[in-house]
Amino acid sequence: MKKQIPPKHARTLAIAPSTRGFGFAVLEEHNTLVDWGVKSVTGDKNSRSIAKMEELIAHYEPAVLVLQDTSTKHSRRAPRIRALSRQILAMAVRCKVSAALFSAEQVRQAFFADGKGTKHALAEILANRFPDELGSRLPPKRRPWMSEDYRMDIFDAVALALVFRLKNVKETARVEAFLEN
Amino acid sequence: MAYSQLPNYLRANRKRLALSQDEVAFLLGTKNGAKVSRYEHFVRVPSLETALAYEAIFKRSASELFGGLYQKVELEVAERAKILAERTKRQKTIRPPVHKHQALTDIAGSQSNKTLNP
Repeated sequence: MKKQIPPKHARTLAIAPSTRGFGFAVLEEHNTLVDWGVKSVTGDKNSRSIAKMEELIAHYEPAVLVLQDTSTKHSRRAPRIRALSRQILAMAVRCKVSAALFSAEQVRQAFFADGKGTKHALAEILANRFPDELGSRLPPKRRPWMSEDYRMDIFDAVALALVFRLKNVKETARVEAFLEN
Repeated sequence: MAYSQLPNYLRANRKRLALSQDEVAFLLGTKNGAKVSRYEHFVRVPSLETALAYEAIFKRSASELFGGLYQKVELEVAERAKILAERTKRQKTIRPPVHKHQALTDIAGSQSNKTLNP
């Protein structure tokens, strides 16, 4: 896998896997959103998600793939999502795309001064940042008896892509270590 | 890896306006969204009339909407301008106007630091 940092304006594809499928966001120069959305899968969710992600990579030819780091001690993601994350990283290697991982804590620290905030608060920040693109996709505030809205996956993906843009850190080196575990 | 634009940004602009492919097809005057889908998946290049219709719908210039395509065409024109400038210089019998030579040099020179296949 390439260790060099891609150019500042290269396309970034961020993926946020969830129970239904995955959310995705494609960012370009000046943090322009090129595409965003949710892909739903049924049946063998992991292999079908990978197939759809490969289609996205072929279409957008991103320089970097960004996703959540599910290998951290505090990660509470399901075993299927953890397995999917490993498969995504293997796919990134196969497609010759650099990958960057960010934990949920890193994402929160990037958007909130004290590192504390809800997913809805983060979604509101992003909807304000991209009013034309995401303003209409902001789900209502979740009540305790409600399941998470499927549209939250989009905001998760956009947040990951923006964190990568903001930090532009050498996270790619960690990918190989993640794959070995 | 150098940065290159996508052939077009029709999908992003359509989604920004919250329009469906069928709705855009109606605005373009085509039967259904199938053609719109082909444009957005870079399978088909729209005609000039369709490109101008897109410009009218999204209120963005065609060179902006078709960024990658414009980049490619611009480089090709620059290459040809270079050749034409050389050719004009070699024709000693007919003296070309100064502004013509300057225009050709400008077209060729503006793209000299870009590459066609990054």
